[in-house]
Amino acid sequence: MTASLGYMVLALAFLLALYGLVIVIIGLIKKSHVYIESARLALLLIFPLVTISVGILIFLLVRDRFDVAYVFSVSSRDMPVYLKLTALWGGQEGSLLFWSWLLAGFSAVLTTRKFRRYVDLLPWSMMVALILLVFFLGLNVFMATPFTRFWHYIDGGRMLSVFQPSNAWPLTPQDGQGLNPLLRHPGMVWHPPALYLGFVGFVIPFALAVATLITRRQDGDWVEISRPWTLISWVFLSLGLVLGMRWAYDVLGWGGYWGWDPVEIAALMPWLSATAFIHTALFQRRRTNFTRWNLSLIILTFSLVIFGTFITRSGVLSSVHTFAGSEIGPAMFFITSLIFLGGIGLLVYRWGDFRPVQEIEFGFSRVVLTLFSNLVLLSILMVCFLGVVYPIFSDLFTGTQVTVGPAWYESITGPLFLSLLLLMGICPLAAWSVSQLTKSPKQLLVLAPLSLLVPLLVWFFGNVRDIYALTALWLAGLAGVVIIGEYVISAQMAIRGKEASLLRGLWEPIKKNHRRYGGMLVHLGVVLMSLGIIGLEGLFQETQVTLARNESVVLGTYQMTFEGIDQFSDSAGINTTQAVLTINDDGEPVGSLYPSREVYTNIGMAVTNPALRATLRWIFMQFWWTGSLKWQTRRHSGYFSTPW
Amino acid sequence: MEVKEKNGLSSNQIKFMISGGLLIIAVIILIISATKSSAEFFLTVEELLTSPEEYQSQNIRVSGAVLGGSINFNPETGLLHFTIAHIPADDELTETDGELSMVLHQAVSDPDAPRLAVVYEGAKPDMLRDEAQAILTGKLDSEGVFIAEELLLKCPSKYEEALPEQAE
Repeated sequence: MTASLGYMVLALAFLLALYGLVIVIIGLIKKSHVYIESARLALLLIFPLVTISVGILIFLLVRDRFDVAYVFSVSSRDMPVYLKLTALWGGQEGSLLFWSWLLAGFSAVLTTRKFRRYVDLLPWSMMVALILLVFFLGLNVFMATPFTRFWHYIDGGRMLSVFQPSNAWPLTPQDGQGLNPLLRHPGMVWHPPALYLGFVGFVIPFALAVATLITRRQDGDWVEISRPWTLISWVFLSLGLVLGMRWAYDVLGWGGYWGWDPVEIAALMPWLSATAFIHTALFQRRRTNFTRWNLSLIILTFSLVIFGTFITRSGVLSSVHTFAGSEIGPAMFFITSLIFLGGIGLLVYRWGDFRPVQEIEFGFSRVVLTLFSNLVLLSILMVCFLGVVYPIFSDLFTGTQVTVGPAWYESITGPLFLSLLLLMGICPLAAWSVSQLTKSPKQLLVLAPLSLLVPLLVWFFGNVRDIYALTALWLAGLAGVVIIGEYVISAQMAIRGKEASLLRGLWEPIKKNHRRYGGMLVHLGVVLMSLGIIGLEGLFQETQVTLARNESVVLGTYQMTFEGIDQFSDSAGINTTQAVLTINDDGEPVGSLYPSREVYTNIGMAVTNPALRATLRWIFMQFWWTGSLKWQTRRHSGYFSTPW
Repeated sequence: MEVKEKNGLSSNQIKFMISGGLLIIAVIILIISATKSSAEFFLTVEELLTSPEEYQSQNIRVSGAVLGGSINFNPETGLLHFTIAHIPADDELTETDGELSMVLHQAVSDPDAPRLAVVYEGAKPDMLRDEAQAILTGKLDSEGVFIAEELLLKCPSKYEEALPEQAE
């Protein structure tokens, strides 16, 4: 009953979307405000309806309603409540419903007061949102509904249906299959929703960009009004990626922060184009000659978002993220093509209407440097795309499938990421444009040589000799030093100029230019991340040791001792074997590690859980079980390590 | 502006094109050199065994069905040995799990299917078991044993079942 209600509410939302789409098109043709207002209310109403539907699915999950096929496939009695909640996006149907829910939410934002001021843009962007809603809600209603239930007939026949077939009785399994053990991890709480939020949020700038193209509006209003939403989406997309990186360390075989898995690449590609967009969107305010570029970038970003969803949800590529086969591949392929070709077509059709106002002068200016960082970002994007489609093309042309692995991606993108670091470091040293050399920050030029200290110190104290790693460290150091230096100089000027207190002085530059310092903060984050990545890629050392009971291994100043084994099983039939390793740093006990192996007797699956410890000096250590009282350690890397 | 467009490109535009062109050339060189050194041939077990000398020093990716009885892990050396049986190339396989598991089952039961011995240094993955699909990256040594550097496993197992086994 509850399940059917969820389905009916969902169907109602779909019908409303269909109604809204038809009525907004009629309204646009007739130029009738009444029709458009009606479409706006329909769009506004879809969100609460889908929310109810999502709420019902959560209710079914929490109440262990295993007669519902989706609940049966992703949940089980023994799962803790927080995992039952995450089962909402643990399978195909649920995650699509979650997608639609976010889409409905962001679409509703489009109709709020702030957006209503832009009377000419609004109807068109509503139309874009409604097309997407019709498609995704349609998928939920017709092809991948999470509300299907099990039924059985007197003669033992079984079937799946949302509503009760005649002569059939509900079939309620005792227990569900449960979430795939690999997904039973706290990462499941944050990683998928953050990524989805980041993905779907780009619908706002995309819808406004399409509206701008159709209405030929020359100003940069679409960039300004969608800016907060673009930034929020970008932050969540980044967060989703980073959370996934962290999670991958906790599962044996996922191999740490980045494995160049096709699905990872599919999520990275929209991130790259969105990052490019955020940077040139800054110039849209200052000069309108970036309109074409920005429109192209946001259309590319949203196409890649849908493409990424298609890749993840269709199972066309072999990947660690493939957890289920799927029948919605063709439908997803259709919408991906529609958005991409539609967007490109519109862009080509309207290209002549968005002529640049003035030429950008070539030289050492922020505009030119940013343009170059844009090109580098897009080059990385191209390399990613090429790597994914390479097998298909090599097969077509040579008859043999040639694939590319992490080594291929790393050797190409490594230098490109380094040039991004370089551009990030020297950009604040340049003035806005060539013609505006008035306040070239000369003091900052002093800082550039100072950054050489970073690789020198690492060379001297850390005993690092690898020239590639040292160059990378210098570039990261340069970017970091310039950002901090620029801030210190601005704060100093505030303190001197206004005779403000130290705290006021530190706050003044941020208050005056919070957009700039928000960006600088993100850049500083990128610098920190680069330090970690350089450590992992350039200074990485790997040893494999097998430990018997009471044996120890020494890594740098750390000593790890394998103390013994605990074995226990819980009521749900999960048998756990767990090792206890104690860690001493310079003889001082600093903690314990518990690598384990869990056997899920009810579904016949075993999961090895590595244990790891991350500190500033030692980035990473991992332990796992190898059977018969032996535990192994591998993978550690760090700066300032003493050679052994 | 008008004059410039008639005369072709301005010197400013040429500067942009040269520097942008240099970047693009650099990227292309990077791609070519990386492809030469680290592209992998995606082969079936049969293709690999028909002409092993041709692929001796190449990076190879090969996919096959795992023979459960052959899995042997030595905790002392940390070496994992197993054997895979030939399955048709990926694009000939249909995407549904049911058919993949049938193909894997046939490959494992067919004693005439070409087989490849594999050695991998590292922990035994949980999904390595009978009739799993293994996708391996590595090189073939002179004795015809595949030295795997990477090991990706797909299990079209009984895990995702359309209808429940147990009723009330």
